[in-house]
Amino acid sequence: MDKIQNTYRVISNERLCAHFWRLTFDAPQLAQEVQPGQFVHIRTADGLEPLFRRPFSIYRAQRYVEILYEPIGPGTRLLAVKQKGDSLDVLGPLGTGFKMPPERTKQVVMIAGGIGVAPMLILTDILKKKKYELILLYGGRTRGHVYPMKEFKDSGVKVYISTDDGSVGSKGRVSVLFDKVHFNPLTTFIYTCGPNPMIKGVQEFAAKHNIGGQASCEEIMACGLGACLGCSIETKHGYRTVCYDGPAFDLEEVIFY
Amino acid sequence: MNLSVKIANVTFQNPVTVASGTFGHAEKYYNLKEVRKLGAIVPKTVTFYPQVGNPPVRIWETPSGMINAIGIENPGIDGFIQAKLPNFKKIGVPLIISILGHNPQEFVGIVEKLNNVILSEAKDLKESLDSSAYRPQNDRMGGIAAIELNLSCPNLQHKTLVAQDTQATQEIVKQIKTISKFPVIAKLSPNVTDIGEIALAAEAGGADAISLINTFTAMSIDIKTRQSRIGNFTGGLSGPAIRPIALAMVHQVYKSVKIPVIGMGGIANADDALEFMIAGATMVAVGTMNFVNPRAPLDVLEGITSYMKENKIADIKEIIGSLKE
Repeated sequence: MDKIQNTYRVISNERLCAHFWRLTFDAPQLAQEVQPGQFVHIRTADGLEPLFRRPFSIYRAQRYVEILYEPIGPGTRLLAVKQKGDSLDVLGPLGTGFKMPPERTKQVVMIAGGIGVAPMLILTDILKKKKYELILLYGGRTRGHVYPMKEFKDSGVKVYISTDDGSVGSKGRVSVLFDKVHFNPLTTFIYTCGPNPMIKGVQEFAAKHNIGGQASCEEIMACGLGACLGCSIETKHGYRTVCYDGPAFDLEEVIFY
Repeated sequence: MNLSVKIANVTFQNPVTVASGTFGHAEKYYNLKEVRKLGAIVPKTVTFYPQVGNPPVRIWETPSGMINAIGIENPGIDGFIQAKLPNFKKIGVPLIISILGHNPQEFVGIVEKLNNVILSEAKDLKESLDSSAYRPQNDRMGGIAAIELNLSCPNLQHKTLVAQDTQATQEIVKQIKTISKFPVIAKLSPNVTDIGEIALAAEAGGADAISLINTFTAMSIDIKTRQSRIGNFTGGLSGPAIRPIALAMVHQVYKSVKIPVIGMGGIANADDALEFMIAGATMVAVGTMNFVNPRAPLDVLEGITSYMKENKIADIKEIIGSLKE
């Protein structure tokens, strides 16, 4: 019934490192239309278990569409058994993606935790066409969570890494990396995505230093189309759906507890 | 092949509709040509005053189902009529407006405002057409065809829902029937001892049809925090998990009343829908599965059509209530 529901062919599905996988599928129209920060909603099961589709930020959209995922639940584990040539039931592109940085911006700092790094690569692909200084502060749990950094470095992004166990980069959460960067309230713009406590930390840091930014948020999601109103989060403007009003919101707009 | 069905004086082109609260996504997403094939559209329940809805977390996935506690987030009846109704009308399918009052006065207030919609439309029509061309609202596609009373609302004298009390159900239906210019459908809750009795009470109140079932009260607990996972503490269970219970209740109500029944509860495909029709449903609604497969209502419609062809059934009425006992 929807313009945006399609079946696509899986091109590849590979394990990149201990925890992250990349699924690539052939969706030329989607690849052309998608904006950084938008997502696809994938039906991982043939039957009813798990029932909901699973939302994934677009990782890259060039010739093919790529998503990055970590098989940790029933949906993502089913995704991991998809093979080249399999068909994939996809809704997308969905949601409101990232706003572009304001005119005066010279430096873009992406701050991501874990799988939250996914929307930053497609964002990089767009932003590198302009002359921004691109920086990524990335916090992963272990060595097994840092693979995608290579692709950012290859795109000219200056990357700083922290791991919870100190196995790569600085030891600790991504906030230990904040002093690696010279933030400027006038010329720095932040993009962030990751667990809510992390986004909350970035929000507090940005507010303290008067830096603007965008956050990509998540919530349990059913329809992905703004119909069920199940994925609402609290913002300064009232409840907003992650799937339709977001996932990207102004950093200062989202209310965390 | 005749797929049309009738509720009160309204003819629907086919029996397939959607459950309230499950269809309402943005115009930019849906394919109008396909949505137009549906028998009817039921927008999300509207209340008298705007409601912001419940705090997150509002939904939780369960085995073949989901718990929801959205809290009827909606713009209120005035906001609905101004901002939403014109877009729903553009689809060109009869609309069944689901409404909920927190007391009888609110129910009456909502219905009066909906009555005014036809009055103003009739006036517009009279101005633009000569009187011989005027056709009643109910025959025009895209208009309000009926009102559905969401009776899962507080019953003020008792600490129950209206839908859990035969007397309260009969009274509210009767009160709305007295003033409504539209056929009235009573939507029942399954959280009752004997749903047949409640259906009889709605029929006695003058309801033109019964729709069922609404969701089952349900919980999910996070064992780490020992707190409810749902912001509103409890929610309503829906989806294929409840389908066999819904089917039994639809059949029970079909046996109890003489008015048409609209069946719903976990319908995912045409086979499911046909079970409900054989059990006695005149119309069938797809609910939760809209969130999983937005094409589900059309798949249901296509599947019913193929079933009729394969079984050489000329009229869908041959299926309704055809259960052999």
